[in-house]
Parts: sequence; structure tokens; C-alpha cells
Amino acid sequence: MTDTDRGTQRDRNSAFYLFTQQNLPACKPVLTPEWVFMTFLFIGFIFIPVGLVTLRASHSVVEIVERYDIGCVPEPFRINKVSYIQDDSIPKNCSLSFKVPKYMKAPIYIYYQLDNYYQNHRRYVKSRSDKQLLHGQNQHGISSCQPVEVNNDRPIIPCGLIAWSLFNDTFTFIRNRAELKVNRKNIAWKSDREHKFGKNVYPFNFQNGTLIGGGKLNPRIPLSDQEDLIVWMRTSALPSFRKLYGRIEKDLDVDDVVVVHLMNNYNTYSFGGKKKLVLSTTSWLGGKNDFLGLAYVFIGSSSVTIAVVFTLLHLLSHRH
Amino acid sequence: MLTLLTLYSTIIPISLYVSIETIKFIQSSQFINKDLNMYHAESNTPASARTSNLNEELGQVEYIFSDKTGTLTRNLMEFFKCSIGGEMYGTGMTEIEMGVAERKGIKVQEAKTSTNSLREKGFNFDDVRLMQGAWRHEPNHDACKEYFRCLAICHTVLPEGEETPEKIRYQAASPDEAALVLAAKNFGFFFYRRTPTMIYVRESHVEKMGKTQDVSYEILNVLEFNSTRKRQSVVCRYPDGRLVLYCKGADTVIYERLGTGNDDLNKVTRVHLEQFGSAGLRTLCLAYRDLAPDLYESWNEKFITAKSSLRDREKRLDEVAELIEKELILIGATAIEDKLQEGVPNCIQTLSRAGIKIWVLTGDKIETAINIAYACNLLNNEMKQFIISSETDAIREVEERGDQTEIARFMKEEVKKQLKQFLDEAPQYFCSPSGPKLALVIDGKCLMYALEPSLRIMLLTLSLNCSSVVCCRVSPLQKAQVTSLVKKGARKITLSIGDGANDVSMIQAAHIGIGISGLEGMQAVMASDFAIAQFRFLEDLLLVHGRWSYIRLCKVVMYFFYKNLAFTLTQFWFTFGTGFSGQRFYDDWFQSLYNVIFTALPVVIVGLFDQDISSSLSKKYPELYKEGVRNMFFNRRIVAIWACFAVYQSLVFFYFVSLSSSTSRDSDGKMFGLWDVSTMAFTCVVVTVNLRLLMMCNSITRWHYISVGGSIIVWFVFIFVYSGIMTRFDRNDNMFWVIYVLMSTSYFYITLLLVPVAALLGDFLYLGVQRWFFPYDYQIVQESHKDDADSINTPDSQETKEHLTPDEARSNAISQLPKEVSKHSGFAFDSPGYESFFATQFGKYVPPKAWDVARRASMKSKSKPK
Repeated sequence: MTDTDRGTQRDRNSAFYLFTQQNLPACKPVLTPEWVFMTFLFIGFIFIPVGLVTLRASHSVVEIVERYDIGCVPEPFRINKVSYIQDDSIPKNCSLSFKVPKYMKAPIYIYYQLDNYYQNHRRYVKSRSDKQLLHGQNQHGISSCQPVEVNNDRPIIPCGLIAWSLFNDTFTFIRNRAELKVNRKNIAWKSDREHKFGKNVYPFNFQNGTLIGGGKLNPRIPLSDQEDLIVWMRTSALPSFRKLYGRIEKDLDVDDVVVVHLMNNYNTYSFGGKKKLVLSTTSWLGGKNDFLGLAYVFIGSSSVTIAVVFTLLHLLSHRH
Repeated sequence: MLTLLTLYSTIIPISLYVSIETIKFIQSSQFINKDLNMYHAESNTPASARTSNLNEELGQVEYIFSDKTGTLTRNLMEFFKCSIGGEMYGTGMTEIEMGVAERKGIKVQEAKTSTNSLREKGFNFDDVRLMQGAWRHEPNHDACKEYFRCLAICHTVLPEGEETPEKIRYQAASPDEAALVLAAKNFGFFFYRRTPTMIYVRESHVEKMGKTQDVSYEILNVLEFNSTRKRQSVVCRYPDGRLVLYCKGADTVIYERLGTGNDDLNKVTRVHLEQFGSAGLRTLCLAYRDLAPDLYESWNEKFITAKSSLRDREKRLDEVAELIEKELILIGATAIEDKLQEGVPNCIQTLSRAGIKIWVLTGDKIETAINIAYACNLLNNEMKQFIISSETDAIREVEERGDQTEIARFMKEEVKKQLKQFLDEAPQYFCSPSGPKLALVIDGKCLMYALEPSLRIMLLTLSLNCSSVVCCRVSPLQKAQVTSLVKKGARKITLSIGDGANDVSMIQAAHIGIGISGLEGMQAVMASDFAIAQFRFLEDLLLVHGRWSYIRLCKVVMYFFYKNLAFTLTQFWFTFGTGFSGQRFYDDWFQSLYNVIFTALPVVIVGLFDQDISSSLSKKYPELYKEGVRNMFFNRRIVAIWACFAVYQSLVFFYFVSLSSSTSRDSDGKMFGLWDVSTMAFTCVVVTVNLRLLMMCNSITRWHYISVGGSIIVWFVFIFVYSGIMTRFDRNDNMFWVIYVLMSTSYFYITLLLVPVAALLGDFLYLGVQRWFFPYDYQIVQESHKDDADSINTPDSQETKEHLTPDEARSNAISQLPKEVSKHSGFAFDSPGYESFFATQFGKYVPPKAWDVARRASMKSKSKPK
């Protein structure tokens, strides 16, 4: 025996010896049908309850979605919506009303939803200057803001396409002839407000150029307080997205009729985008979205099915 | 467009190359080099991998080309058995006999070694009936005496050193001769001095027990050995004037020249010869003839004229020799064991069970080669043997005419004819499953013609159908040619193993070259990819290390492919939602570090530690090796399966995360942005991909847990730091605080549970179904040995120990053995000057050997010095 000649018992149990002789202690799982069966069953038993809880959370949310981009264009302009939206002389106010289908507990969140709007396009996403947003005009790194970077040789604050295309429809809500107050504070993530947008940066020359994009900003308010801009600049992942507009801090009862007066300023007509107004309550899991719950229930129940089928197959065909 | 394409560059990452190189390097430097199963204690040589990029090919070898001397054999001849006057002596058992016994289920009993038996290198004989003068009491003691004298006198050996039995050393042209003279010494006929005309022998027990006397024999003529004659004779004169011709040679030539009478003896001896032959022993027949003085004188004159003739001297000498080498009386036969390296027959048998075909390419003569093939289990009597030899009468006849072009033409025709005939014959054996296996034996000259482009295809077809092939008398160049013929023609992985300078070309020609490190210089080792000390270590190298390396590397490559495909495809699905603008889904750092850090280590761990079955089981079930030869773990089907699951998983990653985050996921109503979604998806990818690795492991050590857990933890640590710190330096602060935002929502945890499970469910189902309904061979072995005790501290040294002691005699077992008889009688004898033959062809200087001097000495005795 060659190995006994070469080392004491201590050496033979050392980690390095076991490593070089490829004898490290190891667990050697063998995927027997029992294991497969048990695993699937286990997954099923975990996932179905979680899925049901998740679904319940989603169902507890009341959500109202109203599309208004077509309805707010006056009848004569329906053929050429772009000329309507680009003509400043035509008043843009519009109103729509809806009935509340279910009791909605405050706070009720107001979103605007844009569809077919590629906020994740590469050139769009990069057209901003994080440094400028935080530190103001004395910073130079604004080359990324193309094509909207300077006006009269002075950098635009905030520069870039994202800011330039700021959403500028406005909404006022009236219930029973009384205006519902909309709280527009604290709609952006705290980290964005405090760390990405400067307290001393003022948008003094924003939207002064020849080509006006979207909304304007009050030049006397620093960027860190311009929450509409902050929300807008957290670009979305998909071409259909919602952004938070504000909060109604009063409950809405069933069959309440809510009238919305809105300024339909924002041009989505030139690229066929849709605009929707969303009112929604939230649960512990956020807004109304059945996907997670359904996925859980689906995975859970198919696991149980597979477990049963696998067992049947196993019982019917004996391998050895 | 280009921006879009660069997004997918992660499919084939540079880290694949780095990881594989790392794995292979550690496999070879730590595992192969330090394996104690491949460590040869006697010569203190470990195995050594001289290159690290062939490890996985070791798991796919289908053809092994082996040299003989020094690789299969030790180049050590031992006198093993003998047959004298119709009686067989010798109690030893060759390894092949033990193999036969084992297969027939006979228990091999360890016989007690008689204490007085002499042990000497070259003499491995034990029988109390002959040793210590006991032969005097045998019924045929006269034959014994003649036998021993023949051994002591009929040779061209030179003694060296002090003239005592202990100190003397014999210099011989062939190790066979030395073994025979050594045997004579041990039987009490001690050859101690040679002068040009005399041989001095110290004979014991001749007159009476215990008495020794020095006898001098006058050597009158030496009729030398060559490959046509296949015999060697000496005419000597006893001190009392008796003239005797002693002859030893191949059974065929000796039997032709035997006198009439004694048919019984001849028949019995032939049976013995056949037994020796099938036991893998090398046999020689011994015979003598008493010469009348006048007959001798007249013959001697003819001999002297022949010797002094200027033209065709060799031929004329042969003719003259024929005149006197007749009417011989058979004494008996010798059986010499061409000592195999330890464990060679077992190893060869294991390797052939593993579906590996072994070809022996040797410079030795056809008889020697066949003999060794028998001894190694490569040939046996059940096989259908095709022999293409240049030593046929027809060819010899043409050769004698001496026209070179005619010889070439004739030989080519002959070779072609034979190949065609064998090819026609082959299918009838090959097609029937129960039919005999095929074996091809071909010699160097015929091979030269068979390797010509027109015949090459036939040779290849024939030899690929044979389970073993023996090529003898081949030059180093031909060894390389045969190797590359198979390498290119069969497109299989080939392996060459050899020990000497003449194997270098063959070692270089094959995919994998293995050098035997040890006695015979370093050239072979220097040219090789792996160096091992013993042939039997091939078993460990191929069946254990090769197989593991192959499986591991397949896993590593497939896993790399999968994890990058799954990762990159999430990016691909995202592209559809961005108007194909080329926007990245993931942050640049995520994308760069994915392969380098977050998924790098576990795959290396798998490449190092994964073991489907233990090493002893790998050797116990060599058939598992065939999975590697057929490349069952890396083919289109496997790639397609992995790809399917990668696509499925990427769909889960992208759509589950993006769809579920389309509404607010925060009880405060705030919405996620692009970078929140991508970070969520990336977290799922990292977790899933790392867990998938654990699912494909056959053995999970604590390093697996550490690396897999570590990789996931490292990702979180990274993202905590990366999104938690904002510096003034130029960077994209999109990522700032993203992970904290995500983790503040319950959505994060719900999704993190859902997505990996959903993604891995398909894989898990596939693994379960595959294992249970379409299992691989190794999985069956795994299951049947699932409950075995862990064999960590009991490496299979016990197993090897059993065949470590072949030296021990087992006389009882022999008597129980069924006596196998074959047409093969096992004649083999190495004629002098073989090594120098190829050396001179390659223009190398070979120093004159002692036996050249001996031959010159014997020439002088022939009365006419030149």
C-alpha cells in the first residue's frame, strides 16, 4: 500500500490530502421519485396559500381607469388631433366624470398612465445630466443632454430630453360641487428628492427655447421640490407606464360622481400614445395587479398536478 | 444596430476561457499529479501532467496505441517452467492463468513457497523435483542432464565479473539467453568462463549428490540464430571426446528436424508447448544430436568453405547448417516469462471492457508480439486472427531473387490480396453478435505497403473492425503513421503510450501522448502530455481522472452556456419594449460583473469537485467510460435542452418581473422605474442561476454551499454598497438607493420567492423525469450504490493488493486449472542487435554491445579468423 507509507493518519485526514485525492466529504443527493414527489408537493403547499393571500390583497384594491386622450379632443378636430394640440389658440380644458364603483378608502392615488410611450428608449434615457440636476449650472458634464442642452450659449437647467418632455396635463377633482383637495407633495421617492436633485438648482431658463416640449417649471422653486419633474425623470421600464400625480385624502363612497376638469396639454397624438387617468387605492402589496397571485396559484397547483402525475407514472412503469 | 448587437456580447464571455483554464490547471496539477493511486512507490514517481488542456480528452479515448517493451513488459525474462523428457516442471502461475482461473471461478490458493528455492532476477522457477540436485532421483535424469548442459553450453553469452555463482553477471544479446544460462546456473550447471574455443561449466551433482566438478567443453562451431533459421546450434566436444550438437529453437523448426522414434515424447512435449503458449510464456525447444567424428569432419570442411565464401555467405552458411541439424533428439522445452509490468493484463481487460481498443505497436518480432498479446489478454484462442506477415515462403522466394522492384510489386500484391480476403471474411464474424472477436496481426514490411494510399482504406476498415491489433517489427515512423491513420481516418480520440525514444513520434502523433517515466531515458516523457510510472495507471488516468474531467468539463461548458443565455435573453426580451433602440436593461456594472463575480466561483467548484460516482466504482464499472467515448454529455441534444430551459427561464425572469411591477408596488402608491425593475430581475437571475448549479451537482461538498451562498451574498453586498454610496466622481446615479427602495416593499420578497422557483420548476421536472424514465448508465450505478457506506477512508488498495504479488507460487491452483491447449505454442526469441537496427536507420550511434564481442569470439573459434 503506497499511501500508508507516505503519511501519518493525521496527514491523511487533512483537508488538502482529501482535496488532492478527491475524497472531500460530500453529500450525494440522488433525485429519487420520492424526492421529486415531495418537492413538488411542498412547493404546491407553500405556493397556493401565498398566491391566495396575494390575490386577496390585489382584489381588495379599487381601481378606476379612464382614458381621455380621444374624448378630450373636440369633435371637429378628431381627424387631425395633432393640429389641435399644437394650436395654442384652442382652449385645452376638458372634463370627464365617472361613478365610483366601490367604496374607496383614503388615500386614493391619482396616476396618469401613458401607453406606447417609449420612455426607455436608449437616446431618451441617457439624455439627462445627473450632475447638473444635483449641482446646477457651473457643472460641465452636460454633453449627454443632446439634443436639448444649451439655449443662448447657456446650459438649460434641467437639460436633456427627459426634462424637456415633462408631462403637463393637470387635473382637478370635484365631488358634489366641492373640490376634492389633491395633495401633490411626497409623490416622489425620498431618495430621489434628497440625493439626486439639488436644493440650490433653479430652472431659470427651462423651456425658453424655440421648440417647446412639455411642461414648464416655476423658476423660483428649486429642483428638489419640483416633484412632478422628479417623478417624471425616474424613467419607466416598459413603454406603458403609470406615474403618480397626487393623492386624494378623502374617502370616496359608492356611487359618488366625480367630475374631473383637466387641461389636455400634453401631445401624445403625434406618436399615437394613449393617456389615461387612474384612481386607485393600495394594499400592503401596492396597486391592483393579479399577476403575482395568479402566478403563485398557477405554479402551486401545477406542482401538485405534476406530483400526482409523476407518482402515477412511477407506479405504472417499473423501471428496474 | 451595432449598439444593439453589443448588448448580447455576454453570451460567450471571456470568463468561460479563464474558468476552464483554471479548472483544467487545478485538475492536472493537484488531482492527476498528486493522486496516490498513480504514485509508484518503488521508483518514487508520481504521475505528472505535462499539459493541462487534454484532461477531458482522457475521458473520450477510444484507441490506445501501446509500445511493448518497457510499457507492457519489464523487458525482464524469467525462466518460469520447463518440460524435460515429457515431464512438466515448474509450479508458478502466470497472470494470464490466474485470470483464466478467476473467470472460471476457481479459487487460486496461495501455495507455500519452498524455503530453499532460489530467488534471483531472471529465475522464477520452483519445483522441488529439480532443485538442489533432486533431479538425480527423477526417472528421466539423463534427459535432465542433457537439458541442463544444453542450457549451459548452447548460447552466445559472456560472463562478467567474479567467477562465483553469486557475483557473476551475464552479458547476453537477448534477455532470453541470459535467463536460460541463469537457469542452468541455478540447476547446478554453472557456466563461468568463456574463451574463444572453450566453455567452462561447474557441474554439481553429476557424479553423485553434492559433488562439483569443473568441466571444459570445446566449442567447435556456432550456428547462429537468425529469423529464418529460428534456431541456434553449437557443436561441442566433451573432455572425453564425445561430439555433440546442441540445438535450441522454435518448435516448428526443431520438430521438422527430429529423428524418428520417440513419438510419445514428442507428442507430450508438444502438448506442453501449447500449454505454455496459451499461458503467455515464450518457449524454446531443446534438442541434441551425437555426432560421429568422421561425419563431423566432412561437414566441418563444407562449413569452412561456406564461411570463407565471398558471395552469399549467409545463405550458404544456412544451407550447410541444414546438413547437420537433422535427426535431432528432443530433450525438452523451456518456458520463459516475458515479465509483464504489474497489473497489465487486468488493466487491459478493464480498458477493453470500457470499450477502448488497444493496439500494440512494437519493434519486436511477430512471435514475440503475439506472445505478449496472449499474455496481456489481447489475443486468445477464441479470437479469429488475421495474420499478415512477410515471412511467408512465397515472399521469401521472391526476395531471394533479389530484384527490389519485383519484391515491392509482389509484396504489394500479396498484401492487397490478403487484405481483400480478410475484409470479405470479416463481416461474417462481425455481424453475428456471438461470433468470435477479430484480431489483426501485421508486420512492418507488410504494413509499409498496406499504408500506401491505395490500400490504406482497406487496412483502416479491417482494423477498425478488429478488437485488437498487433503491429510488429514496425519502425518509429510507422508507429506514427498507424496512429495518425486511425486519428484521421476514424476521427476518434487516440492515445499513445510508450517509454523509449522510438515511441516519441507515435506519442506526438496521437491526440494524447503518454510517457512511461522510469527506466528508459526521458525522451518519451519529454514528448508526452502525461507521464505515468506504470502502464496499469492508465486505468486510473482514463477511467477515473479522464472520465471525471470529461463530465465536469461538459457540465462547466453547458452551465456557462446556459447561464449566459438565460441572462442575455432577458436583455433580448427587453429590447422589444424599447423600440430596438439598444437600451441596456441592466446597469453596466451588473453586466460586467455577472460573469466575473456573481456566478464565477461555483462553476469552478463544480469543475473541480463534481463526482457522479466514486473512483472505485468508476473502476468497477468500466463500461461507464463508453458514455464519454460516445460524447453523451456534450451533443446537440444536450445543448438544445439547456437552451430550451435557458429561454424558458429568461422569459420568466423578464415577464414575471416586468408585468408584476406595472402597477405601484408600494403601499405608498409610488411607482418603480426602469432601474428598479432591472435590479429586481437581476437579483432573480443571480439567485436562480446559482441555485440551478446546485441542482446539477452529483456531489455537494461544503465548498459548493460556500461558493453558491457566497456568490449570492456577494451580489447583495455589492448592490448595497453600489446603490448606497454616491460620490462626486462621474457616475450614473440612476442606481442610487434602488435596492433599498426595492427592499422596503413586500413585493421584493414575494417575487424573489416566486421567480426562482417558477424558473427552476421546469429544470427540476426534467431532471426527475430524465433520471427516472431515461436514465444514464451512471445514474443507475448511483442508485444501486446509493446506500453504500462512504468509502472515504478505504481507498481500493485492498483490491490492488491482490494482484500485487504475482511472484508467489500457487502450485495447487495449477493442478486444478483446466489445461488449455492451442495451436499457438509460444515460440519467441530475441535475436541480437534489434535495438541498433532502428537506431542506425535514424542515424544514431549505438555503442557496441557485449554480445557483439561474444559473437566475434565465436567466429574466431571457427578456425578461420578474418
